[in-house]
Amino acid sequence: MIKKLQLKASAELDKRVHDDISAALTKSEQTKSVQPQPNIWRTIMKSPITKLATAAIVIIACVIGLSLWRTTSSGIALADVLARVEQVKAFRCKVSFTMNDQIAPDKPYQFEVRSTILLSREYGLKVNAETPDPNGGWMPYAETYISDEKKTCVEIAHTKKKYVREELDYYAETQGDQEEDWSDPGTILKAIIACKYENLGRSTIDGVEVEGFRTTDPNCRSPVSESRWSNPQVDVKLWVDVKTRLPVRFEEFSSSVDERGNTHSQRQVVHDVEWDVPFTAAEFEPPPVPDGYEVLDVPRLNDEETAIQGLKRCIELFGNYLENISDDAGAKGIIFFAFEKSETSTALRLKEEIKGLTGEEKLDRVSDAGEPIFRLIWFYVGLVQDKKEPAYYGKTVTPKDADKVLLRWKVSDSEYRVIFGDLRAETVTPEKLAELEAGLPK
Amino acid sequence: MLEDKLLIWKFNRGNLNVLRGIYEKYKDDLVTLAAALLNDVSSAEDVVHEVFVSFIESSRKFRLTGTLKGYLATCVANNARNKNKARRTHRGIAFDQASPAKADSNNPEFHAIFGEELSQLSWALGQLPYEQREVLILHTYSGMRFKTIAQQQSVSINTVQGRYRYALDKLRSMLNGEIK
Repeated sequence: MIKKLQLKASAELDKRVHDDISAALTKSEQTKSVQPQPNIWRTIMKSPITKLATAAIVIIACVIGLSLWRTTSSGIALADVLARVEQVKAFRCKVSFTMNDQIAPDKPYQFEVRSTILLSREYGLKVNAETPDPNGGWMPYAETYISDEKKTCVEIAHTKKKYVREELDYYAETQGDQEEDWSDPGTILKAIIACKYENLGRSTIDGVEVEGFRTTDPNCRSPVSESRWSNPQVDVKLWVDVKTRLPVRFEEFSSSVDERGNTHSQRQVVHDVEWDVPFTAAEFEPPPVPDGYEVLDVPRLNDEETAIQGLKRCIELFGNYLENISDDAGAKGIIFFAFEKSETSTALRLKEEIKGLTGEEKLDRVSDAGEPIFRLIWFYVGLVQDKKEPAYYGKTVTPKDADKVLLRWKVSDSEYRVIFGDLRAETVTPEKLAELEAGLPK
Repeated sequence: MLEDKLLIWKFNRGNLNVLRGIYEKYKDDLVTLAAALLNDVSSAEDVVHEVFVSFIESSRKFRLTGTLKGYLATCVANNARNKNKARRTHRGIAFDQASPAKADSNNPEFHAIFGEELSQLSWALGQLPYEQREVLILHTYSGMRFKTIAQQQSVSINTVQGRYRYALDKLRSMLNGEIK
């Protein structure tokens, strides 16, 4: 009898709940407008796993970009190369990627990975990556499966024993048409369109006669490079099979110097390219996640709350706020540098925990601990990109400065959102903000 | 279950629109649960409304460990319990010892909604001590396990099972007497 009890929610309750949801949606939209809209490309580049997949796309984008290059002196029409590439349904290639970062003047950091990539216009992308084994040889690093059809992305990070399964629709929902970036990364395309190049003439690669092209135009860089850093160096080479008119090798080297004077460089080589290779749909099916692997926390949209969490983590890890949160590309170095100097109990505990680990492992552990700070930085960079007039005063405002403006951004012509030194958040008028900022230490 | 996981997945990523789907899917069950606990439809709707207000605010923080229905039922039960405590405090006497008008067997609101037989049941439920009523409703109507209810009520599983037995006995006794 009890199970037969059934009431119907009244129309009045329906209205109350739906009105609340509508109000929350409106508020969310307003907040969203100041959130960084995470370009999927940026998301890919932030992920140590998916970063690898980009090389495959680089080669396609590069060739697409070539359509705007003129016919070469030796007769290869790059528009013809593009037309041929566009007809290719799938290709397989190998990629070697080396990144040399300097997170501090005396802290060089190298990351090396080699991968095999299978890309099908119909099914998606599959990447199997390996990294050097400290005991010699290579060991599995990560596997990535991106299904265009199912709109899913599965990544298994073997070295971290973590995995993630995401729906690509999520990006479409939050970024409108930016999902197109996945197969047509306009960033690279635009860069290549704008670049100047030279013809390297003919040579032979693995017994195949090729014609080479090269550019050192700093504008020609993939999103792997950080465009805001100084002294950009670029060296891009592409070799095309004279007979098939299809690319057989692509090399990219780029370097630049960050705001703290540290040099960052990377080199990737796409080689052993096989066009229109046979494959089966099963090859794009991700394997079962090995036992014991945990879910990797995927960065979500960064909002005010994540910013506050990031600021809280700064206090825990560094005892103070970071002086600068505008350099997303150098975030890892900034966090590690601040951590090394810190003597908070959290930092000391972590330092104790990571004693005896390799440099890379230490960096990973500190990065994991500083994850909310990355989000804070991306939030701030998003505000800059969205021209929300953000200002951050971590250089002078401390957690003790309860009523001083720590971070602010524009919400509308008549409103600014302010996070204070004690991490309260308030909406204030421009006049009130001016008053608050006038009282800030110079 | 999978559908719920998907709803929560989207909800956690800031898609608040899925709340409409969640509300539409569970609203009647939740209102019924709250009404059975509080013997008052108006208060029951307030409870469900409050649960959804909290739910809206929990966007991106929510982690579903069990079923969505179970989670919402727990929230309703917690809110109803708080409301019941507030009533007790407000009245200065144990609400359960009082005889609230809306728990009356002749309550036209319940008659209109449930019909004669269920209206009697509703009245009888209203006569049970709140803790016993909560155990009975959560277990029989929401299908919640005794262990879960014990955790919610911060009592041992034996106590919960005891409350359940007493509630059933009293209910049978009251309904037999009334219906006869």
